[in-house]
Amino acid sequence: MKACAKWIRDGIGFDALLIAMALTYLLAFAGLPLLYNIIISFQVVDMFSLNQLFHEFAGWDNYIEVFHDPAAAEVLWNTTLFTIVSVFFQFTLGFALALFFNQKFPGATWFRGLFLAGWVMPGLVVGVLWNWLLSGDFGVINWTLETLGIIGEPIFWRSDVDYSLISVILANIWYGVPFNMILLSVGLAGIPEDLYEAAALDGATALQKFTTITLPMMRSTIGAVIALGIIFTLQQFDLFAAITSGGPAGSSLVAQYWSWELSFRQFEFGRGAVIAVLMIVVVLGVTVFYVRSTRQETRL
Amino acid sequence: MNIDDSTIQIGFTDVNKFYGAYHALNSINLSIPKGQFVALVGPSGCGKSTLLRTLAGLEEISSGTINVGGRTVNDIPPRKRDLAMVFQSYALYPHMNVRENLTYALRLKGVSKEIRANKADEVAAIIGLEDLLDRKPRELSGGQRQRVAMGRAIVREPQAFLFDEPLSNLDASLRVRMRKEIRALHERIGSTSVYVTHDQVEAMTMADHVVVMRAGKIEQQGVPLDLYKNPANCFVAGFIGSPAMNFIPGVIDESGESVTLDFEESPSLPIAQSMQPGRPVVVGLRPEHVELGDAQSCGYAAISISSVEETGSTTYLFSSATPELVIVADGSQQVRSGDVIGVKIAPTNVHLFDPETEVSLSNG
Amino acid sequence: MMGMKRIYKNQLLFIVALFAVALYLFPLYWMYTTSLKTDTAIFAIPPQLLPSSPQWQTYIDVWNGSNIVRYMSNSVFIATGVTLVTVIFGSGASYVLARYRNVWIDISLFTVLMLQVLPPSLMVTPIFVAFASIGLLEYPRIATILAFSAKTMPFFVILCRAAFMTIPRELEEAALVDGNSRAGAFVMIVLPLARNGILVAALLIFMQGFGEYVYSASLISDNRLQPASIGMTNYLQPNIVTWNSIMAFAAIYITPILAAFVLLQRHIVNGLTSGALK
Repeated sequence: MKACAKWIRDGIGFDALLIAMALTYLLAFAGLPLLYNIIISFQVVDMFSLNQLFHEFAGWDNYIEVFHDPAAAEVLWNTTLFTIVSVFFQFTLGFALALFFNQKFPGATWFRGLFLAGWVMPGLVVGVLWNWLLSGDFGVINWTLETLGIIGEPIFWRSDVDYSLISVILANIWYGVPFNMILLSVGLAGIPEDLYEAAALDGATALQKFTTITLPMMRSTIGAVIALGIIFTLQQFDLFAAITSGGPAGSSLVAQYWSWELSFRQFEFGRGAVIAVLMIVVVLGVTVFYVRSTRQETRL
Repeated sequence: MNIDDSTIQIGFTDVNKFYGAYHALNSINLSIPKGQFVALVGPSGCGKSTLLRTLAGLEEISSGTINVGGRTVNDIPPRKRDLAMVFQSYALYPHMNVRENLTYALRLKGVSKEIRANKADEVAAIIGLEDLLDRKPRELSGGQRQRVAMGRAIVREPQAFLFDEPLSNLDASLRVRMRKEIRALHERIGSTSVYVTHDQVEAMTMADHVVVMRAGKIEQQGVPLDLYKNPANCFVAGFIGSPAMNFIPGVIDESGESVTLDFEESPSLPIAQSMQPGRPVVVGLRPEHVELGDAQSCGYAAISISSVEETGSTTYLFSSATPELVIVADGSQQVRSGDVIGVKIAPTNVHLFDPETEVSLSNG
Repeated sequence: MMGMKRIYKNQLLFIVALFAVALYLFPLYWMYTTSLKTDTAIFAIPPQLLPSSPQWQTYIDVWNGSNIVRYMSNSVFIATGVTLVTVIFGSGASYVLARYRNVWIDISLFTVLMLQVLPPSLMVTPIFVAFASIGLLEYPRIATILAFSAKTMPFFVILCRAAFMTIPRELEEAALVDGNSRAGAFVMIVLPLARNGILVAALLIFMQGFGEYVYSASLISDNRLQPASIGMTNYLQPNIVTWNSIMAFAAIYITPILAAFVLLQRHIVNGLTSGALK
């Protein structure tokens, strides 16, 4: 007992105790649910069997039902589209802004910081704001587009099956740009100024500097930012809840929303767990890529 | 050296330390008497800092024992070892002012506030920081920070002071001044000090006892001038003294009383002892021991000079032959590159080493 | 000449930056503007950029009539709980992860990173089923705090680790030699020096807890215990006409967050960029 107290007071036990606190917590409230999720994906879990820890075994039934669900193909397509388009624009706009604010002009840092105001907002509020901006009859976006002559008649963003997913993508791009920009700014700031000066002496144009210095030096940052963008986009839920709720007619339904809807709207927890298991495998795959692209130093 | 056991303040006995397979400290044996100023010196990575840190308790040892004041401290945490340490970066607590920095250890001991305040004033007077007690470390110059770090150690009245390259962050002139001050402080307090440095001049000028380390081993220890005069091997010979000793291969002559150098026109140097004829040796010549004269005179060997560096007080001459011979000459010497000069070395200044083991063959 | 050119270029960049920020922050501006318009003015074509007669009464009505005080108290309760749990359990670990470099630390760090990426809307299914079976859903706000803290802790650990990494190890060693135990040196030297980094990270966690939606929506069924994020969704009916009320609700809800952000912008941006994301 005394040795143990000494171990914690003066030895490595102090560190072990501190790290054990966090890891125990995380394993209890994230690690165990992760395993439990796999278990319940093979069980019959509904409102009646909720209060028992272990439920009737269902075999592969939940998986088969999910794959045979008529919505499955559309959800897969929507999820892919939502992720790729969101990440593409978040990244390109974020990179453009990062490059712009990387020029040293008075107030650059301050202006750049203001963009983070979007990032600190609750996702649900962002969704509600865009819900209003994208309103069909009275939305300011429709009015602007009509005034500029880009569209002839109002688009019913949220209720038109062709536009519902796009409306969530628009909100998600707005929400994700600041974080992309800040991460890329940090990467840009890490490129030594004298590299550009050397390139200028060697006769490089602005474009050549970008392609021969900026891009190669940013390679690992870009990999990490894109991977993080995919991870965060696959986590996006609040915007769907606030803008389309996956509708109309499943036209904006993505996997992370479908899983929740099966569990908490249809009380098919087993099937909700199946989608969760499949999606988590995808997310963890992206994470491995992300960790590999940041091997030298741990990022967010 | 005959030291009565009771006066030993710090003792290392067969201390080993491994980092994985890397042998960081290799069978260290070292006794430090009470009141002595000991310098641990060697190139970076030689283990001198590691040795100091094991003494402080900041690193554990793999085997052996460490004694402080007659007590084995192997398993005793740093806070109970009663040693004070001055760090290379000074490690002043940035969120405390100078007074709080000075008396932090006393506060931890539970010393009352009034006594702490008195003690801070007292020590501030010793180190000359009376006016800065309320400043934060970031508001001090490098030299002042260094003094606070010293003061923090003095306040403790510890069993021994440990210094980890405390002057390496100061500029050259301040370093020379602080060297004297630390030494004066040591004499005034009469404490035991262990001082780690990579600068052999610092070690030679400050310490009573110098310990030269390389690759985790003690190569030689002793009184500073003794290390200079009688280096135990090529490493110590080359490390102590500036510019470094010249090493030239040679062979003992038929007579056994002189050595022929494998250098330019194979000059022969008389040596101070009798050696086995024909034995190959490494001859060590200190640049400052080379006497200049007329190349034609008796007893002088002719050497052609390829370059000359004049600093005013001294002139450095570099031979054109290889291995390059460095000569330190008086600043008044008028030598130009391309000149051929005569050189002579007194037999007692000729150091001989075994070419294989690099161990000294001189019995001086 | 170069000097003049430089000044013109800076002015141009400044104006472009101003325009970009204004465009980006337009949704927030539109929220405040809409909240002050009359019931008919919100549907005016063309839309009014400024409300002709600001309707402060809407705020009073929303404050009194939509249980927003109760909703926001619940948000504060959840955010406070999440922040406390995260800081108490996460600070020490981030210190240890900053201090050492070995294979065990790498494994721990990797574990933390992996748990950070799990989507809440997917994790909530097993958490709901598990909490239901062990009776934790009897305390839905506590359940939400416990579940959401597991989501915020990895982010907090990674931010704080960066703060701890800036503290020289020698300071801690000096404290050990001066007479501190490991715990003493951590509390008296390391924690005070990392304070700013920890506070910024804690503030970000509080903001996340304040805006949390998925776990609350899934675990809290009692209306009286629901946070403001759920309070907002009560407005989201198919054909909404009370946009001014919703925007007033949203404004009341997020203005504290925006105010904290504007006041501490420099610290937040520094906290995010100095190391954590490097």
